Amino acid sequence: MEMLELLRRSRKFIIGSAVVGAIIMLGIIGTMVTPEPKMNLSQIGKAQPPSWEHPLGTTSLGEDVFAQLCRGISNSFMVGLLGGGLGTLIAVLLGALGPYKGGLADESSNFVTNVILVFPILPMLLFLSYVLGERSLFTVGMLVALTSWPWAARSIRSQVLSLKEREFINLARMSGMKDRTTVITEVLPNMLAYILMVFVLLAGGAIIAEAGISVIGVGPDRGLCVTLGNMMYSAIQFHPSVWHWSSIWWWFIPPGLVLTACLSAIFVIHAGMDEVFNPRMRRV
Amino acid sequence: MPKWEYAIMPRKLFAHLRRFFTNSFVKFVAKKVVFYAIVMFVAMTFVFFIPRIVPVNPIDLMIPRPSGGISPEQYAEIRNYYMRFFGLDKPLFDQYIIFWRQILTLDLGRSFPTSSVVSWPRPVLGAILGFLPFTLALVIPVLLLSFILGNWIGARAAYVGGKRSELAYFFSVFSNRLPCFWLGMVLLFLLATRAGLFPTVGWISLRVKPPSLDLDTFLDVLWHYCLPFLSLFIVYLGGWATGMRSMVIYEMDSGYVRYSDQLGFRKSKSMAYAKRNAILPQFTGINLYLNALIGETTIIENIFGWPGIGRLLVDSVMTSNFPMITGCFLVIMVVVIFGNFLIDILYGFVDPRIRIGRR
Repeated sequence: MEMLELLRRSRKFIIGSAVVGAIIMLGIIGTMVTPEPKMNLSQIGKAQPPSWEHPLGTTSLGEDVFAQLCRGISNSFMVGLLGGGLGTLIAVLLGALGPYKGGLADESSNFVTNVILVFPILPMLLFLSYVLGERSLFTVGMLVALTSWPWAARSIRSQVLSLKEREFINLARMSGMKDRTTVITEVLPNMLAYILMVFVLLAGGAIIAEAGISVIGVGPDRGLCVTLGNMMYSAIQFHPSVWHWSSIWWWFIPPGLVLTACLSAIFVIHAGMDEVFNPRMRRV
Repeated sequence: MPKWEYAIMPRKLFAHLRRFFTNSFVKFVAKKVVFYAIVMFVAMTFVFFIPRIVPVNPIDLMIPRPSGGISPEQYAEIRNYYMRFFGLDKPLFDQYIIFWRQILTLDLGRSFPTSSVVSWPRPVLGAILGFLPFTLALVIPVLLLSFILGNWIGARAAYVGGKRSELAYFFSVFSNRLPCFWLGMVLLFLLATRAGLFPTVGWISLRVKPPSLDLDTFLDVLWHYCLPFLSLFIVYLGGWATGMRSMVIYEMDSGYVRYSDQLGFRKSKSMAYAKRNAILPQFTGINLYLNALIGETTIIENIFGWPGIGRLLVDSVMTSNFPMITGCFLVIMVVVIFGNFLIDILYGFVDPRIRIGRR
């Protein structure tokens, strides 16, 4: 509760969450208000620029871009939640349990983290995603989570290591508290803010990773769901050349703008949280 | 001691060797070599098993389905012939052994005939080495130039302070958050098709083909190079600037800078010390930036039709071209590991705590 009170006073956090909130609301309300975007065979090759009827115009397949965008926002945020949540879970398991147990558990989890940290993640991700064949939001979110956790695990580990040496943990140990109780009542509440920050960054990372592999064409299948990334992919894919797709700017500019706004907002949220939870940074 | 004395005095040689291997710097390098060897092993093992766990056989992509004209037996015979030819009929474990033998002897065999960017039958490594310079030409300048310029901007913003610093922060965060592929698309839209200043795809115009080593070719390639370079450079510039700005602000607040200010040092003098300390953590960031950059280059190459490894990799993945996938990942891993290794060594030289070590 004290945490929320502090956060409410951070201007960065408020602005960032307002932007993310607005984008999510646009996604949810827009999805409810607009009809499902359908391919219109009679309109193929006749993309219309923005008008009153179609606020963001139509694609060259006759779909309404605004309706697509709203669904894309919801779906991309789903990938963010899934990838960020699962990635945080893996990072906490490998980054926090290892050093707390110490010994071989710590050494091995740290080693695995460092090895995966050197991998070229995006080529691996697109390789895995292509091999998978059937790609839904869920599977892509899982894959992103599986490849995104190493840096998070490493920073959580260093936090736990420094936390372990702190006076109040020693005090809890000396007063005969059990390991499990110490973790639940002392370590975790102190880590919660940090884990939340990791989640925010991982969620943003998952959204951009999904968009990245979608632009190449190995993201979620277009037939299953629309995401911000595969909107851009289809904008390129359904035209023979750059000259064609770049003349239909209303198809690929909006998803990128939303993506940039949402990633910037997530960064600002993270910076705000950093200032609040990390007193050393508060004046920066 | 002259070298020839080693021969007659093995004890001294042994002592020298021991001193050499207990030197902290040599130990540091040896540790890194072992670590990267393990990384290589794990990564390549993944690359071997990932495409083989799914029940799709690349042979079925190479030869058309049996239709009129040939009997099922003949089809099976052709299929078996292909399986034998590419060594896919052997048990998985044997394939894995062959896979490592090929990597260690640097003979990756021939590409499958499914590739659309490499003509068959080219040896895999030879084909890849033709694509590698294009990737390096993007990765190395982007990394170095953005590091130099970004850190300069960040330090400058922290030094100036006030509104201009805030503005620099705002722009660097924004530019770092731009998805590089979207930035590439927007640049193509604005500068290439609308303004007509730059070419749209590829790396060379038809008019200078065949490419030769003259100024005309060079300028033409440079002209094609601008947009892919810019769309990565702008994004990475912002990243370095954001980090450097907050590091310098943090250092400016520390005891030694305040003390030197109170002693009456000129601000530029105390800033020089602050910058020197602030840039150290930035050096550790190069590793992560390099790894991220390799990935983003893959996407950028595909958008701009820039013939680098990323383009080849995506094509090979989409056509299940196993030897080519192996080759691409091998080369990417070598680049990543070599880069990381160089940066580690560089960091060892830059950071006095590691350079001098514990004597």
